[in-house]
Amino acid sequence: MSCGKKAAAQIVLLMAGAAMLCFGVWRGEAATVLSKAIKLCLECVGIG
Amino acid sequence: MGKKFSGVSQTMSRFRGWIQAGATLLTNLHLPNFLKGGLYQGAGKTVCVPGLNCYSCPAASGACPIGAFQAVVGSSKFSFSYYITGFLILLGVLLGRFICGFLCPFGWFQELLHKIPTKKLSTKRLKPLTYLKYAVLLVMVFLLPAFLVNDVGMGDPFFCKYLCPQGVLEGAIPLSLANSGIRAALGKLFTWKFSILLSVIVLSVLFYRPFCKWLCPLGAFYALFNRVSLFQMKVDKNKCVSCGNCARACKMDVDVTKTPNHTECIRCGMCIRACPTNAVCFRYGFGNGKETTKKTTMEELK
Amino acid sequence: MNRKRIFALAFAVLMVLSLAACGTRDNDKMANGSGNGSAMTGEPKTAEEALALHKELLERENALLSENTELWEKVFMEADKGMAMIEDGKNYGDFLLDTVEAAKEQFTDKEYEWLKESATEISNIENKLTALEEKYPEIVQQSMDGDMSMPAGSDTSNPPDDGSMQKFPAFEGKDLDGNAVKSDELFSGNAVTVVNFWFTTCNPCVGELSELDALNKELAKKGGSLIGVNTFTLDGDEAAISEAKDVLAKKGATYQNVYFDSDGEAGKFTTNIFAYPTTYVVDRSGNIVGDPIVGAITEKKQAETLQTLIDQALAADMG
Repeated sequence: MSCGKKAAAQIVLLMAGAAMLCFGVWRGEAATVLSKAIKLCLECVGIG
Repeated sequence: MGKKFSGVSQTMSRFRGWIQAGATLLTNLHLPNFLKGGLYQGAGKTVCVPGLNCYSCPAASGACPIGAFQAVVGSSKFSFSYYITGFLILLGVLLGRFICGFLCPFGWFQELLHKIPTKKLSTKRLKPLTYLKYAVLLVMVFLLPAFLVNDVGMGDPFFCKYLCPQGVLEGAIPLSLANSGIRAALGKLFTWKFSILLSVIVLSVLFYRPFCKWLCPLGAFYALFNRVSLFQMKVDKNKCVSCGNCARACKMDVDVTKTPNHTECIRCGMCIRACPTNAVCFRYGFGNGKETTKKTTMEELK
Repeated sequence: MNRKRIFALAFAVLMVLSLAACGTRDNDKMANGSGNGSAMTGEPKTAEEALALHKELLERENALLSENTELWEKVFMEADKGMAMIEDGKNYGDFLLDTVEAAKEQFTDKEYEWLKESATEISNIENKLTALEEKYPEIVQQSMDGDMSMPAGSDTSNPPDDGSMQKFPAFEGKDLDGNAVKSDELFSGNAVTVVNFWFTTCNPCVGELSELDALNKELAKKGGSLIGVNTFTLDGDEAAISEAKDVLAKKGATYQNVYFDSDGEAGKFTTNIFAYPTTYVVDRSGNIVGDPIVGAITEKKQAETLQTLIDQALAADMG
C-alpha cells in the first residue's frame, strides 16, 4: 500500500467510524447500551 | 525527532506492565462496589471501554464493547449496532491492537498468569487456531444474537452467555461472593463458564495470551484494523541486520521484519527491546512515514 | 526481578479470590452442620435461651434441607402433586417422611435411607420447635420470620434480619391499563402476593413471563396473586408502557403489571435492585417472606425455592 493510499484509507475509515457512531447514537442505541450495562444481566455473566 | 521516538518506544514497552495496571484500574474505578455487591449505575456506562471488561463487574466504569454490541444487536429494536461498530472502527484506526497489548484488563490478567514460572510452550504450530477468533466474532457476537431470536425478537448474547471468561472472573465470582441472592442463582451455566475460565487460566500459564490469540472477538476486530492503524510498528531497513532476534522475541508469533503490522501484533514492543540496532520502533501518524529519512514520526500527528 | 515478584503476589491474591468463590457454599454448609449437638439435647431456662435454641434448631433443619438439594427437590416435586402440605398442622418432618415413603420407588436404597434419616431428624427438630413455641410463644415471631424451612439455595451465611420483619415498601400506583393500585389493599386482599421485577429488554425476564402467568392462575385458586413491576414503566412512561404491554401480550401474560413513582419508597427500593429478574414473596400483612429470588424461575431450582416460599406464606396465613 502506498503512503498516500494508506493515509486516505485511514481518513475515510475515521470519518466512516465517526459517522456510524453518530448515527447509532441518533437512533437510540446508546440508551439501549446504558439500560443493559447498569443492570446485572444474569445470563451474560454466566449465573443462571 | 525520529530517534527520540525510538526512545519513547523503548520506555513505553518497558513500563507496559504499569500502563496495563493503570488502564485496568481506570476501567474498573468503582472499587468499593466489590464489597457492596452492587453495580455502578451511572451515565458513564453509556460509553464503552476499549478493552474486554465485563460491564457486570461491580467496579466497571464503562460498558464492554462486545457485550454492548450483543445487547443492541439482540434487542428487538435493532439488528445491527452502528454506535458500537463506529466506536470500534475509530478505536481500531486510532490504536489498533495496541489496545490488546496495553489497555485490555483481560490481556493483562493472562500475562500475569504467564509469569508463573513453569515450562512454557510455543504456539507457533497452533497458528490455524488464530482464525477461530474471527469465527467467534462473526457467529457468536453478530449472527446468533441478531438472527436466533425468540418470539419477541430478542436474541441471547451468545458470546457473553456461553464463552466469555471475563464475565465470570469479574462479574459472577465477585458478585456471588458479596450477594447471597446471586449465590443462590448460580446454576449449570455458571459451572460451564467457570470451567472455561479455569481452562483459560491453565492455558495462560503454559501459553502466552491464549484467549487473545484464539478466541477474543474484540481482538479479532482490532486485528482487522492493525494494518491501517495510525499506531504502527516501523522497521528501519537501513539499520536492520537481519539477525532475527525480533521474530524470536515475539510471543505473538509475528515475523516482525516481514510483516511489522501483522494482524497478530499487539504492539507489546518486545521486538523493540530485542533489536540490537534499534531498527524497530513505534510510529504514530497517517500514511507509512518515510523509509530512509525518518524525520516524520511525531510531526505527522499535528 | 522485583517486579516479577510483585506480579506473582498479585496473581496469587487473584487466584485465592477466584477459588474462594467455589469454596463458600460448602463452607456454609459445614458451619451449619457442625456444633449443633447441644441443640438437640439442651433444655432452655429463659426466653432468650429458648430463642437461641429455636434459631439453632431452625438452622440445623435448613442445613439438612440444603445438604442434598437434588434429592429434596424430587421429594418436593412429589409433595406438590399431593398438595397436602403443612396446612393441617402436621409436623413438617412427618410430612416429609410420608412423602418420601410414598415416592419410595423413585429413589435408590441409599437415597431412601438418607432421606428417611434426615426426615426423621427434621421431624424431631420440628417436635422440639413446637414444644419450644408452646412454652415461649413470643420467640416464634422473632426467630422464624424470613427464614423457615427453606431448602436449596436459601442462604444462611448472611444472617437474615432476624427479629425484624422486612416490610415490602408501600406504593400507590397504577396498573398498565390505568387502574389505581394500592399496595396495602393489594397485599391484604391476598393470602400471598408474588411480586416480579422485570424490564422489557431483559431476555430471561421476558422468557419467564408465560410461566409467571401460569403461576398466577394457580395462585388465584389458593387466594394468592402475582403482579409484575416493569422498571421501564416507572413514573408512567407512555412509550415504555405500550412496549411492555406489547411484550406481555405476545407472551400471553394476563396478570396485573403495576408502576409507581420512582422517587417514592417503592421506587427507591426498585432502584436498588440491580439483578433481573428478581421475585419477592409478600404475605398478607405486607411482609417479605424469605430472601428475594434472583434469576428466572424457568430454572427448576429457583421455581422450587419460590414454591416453598409461597407454601410457607400460605401456611402462615392459614394458621
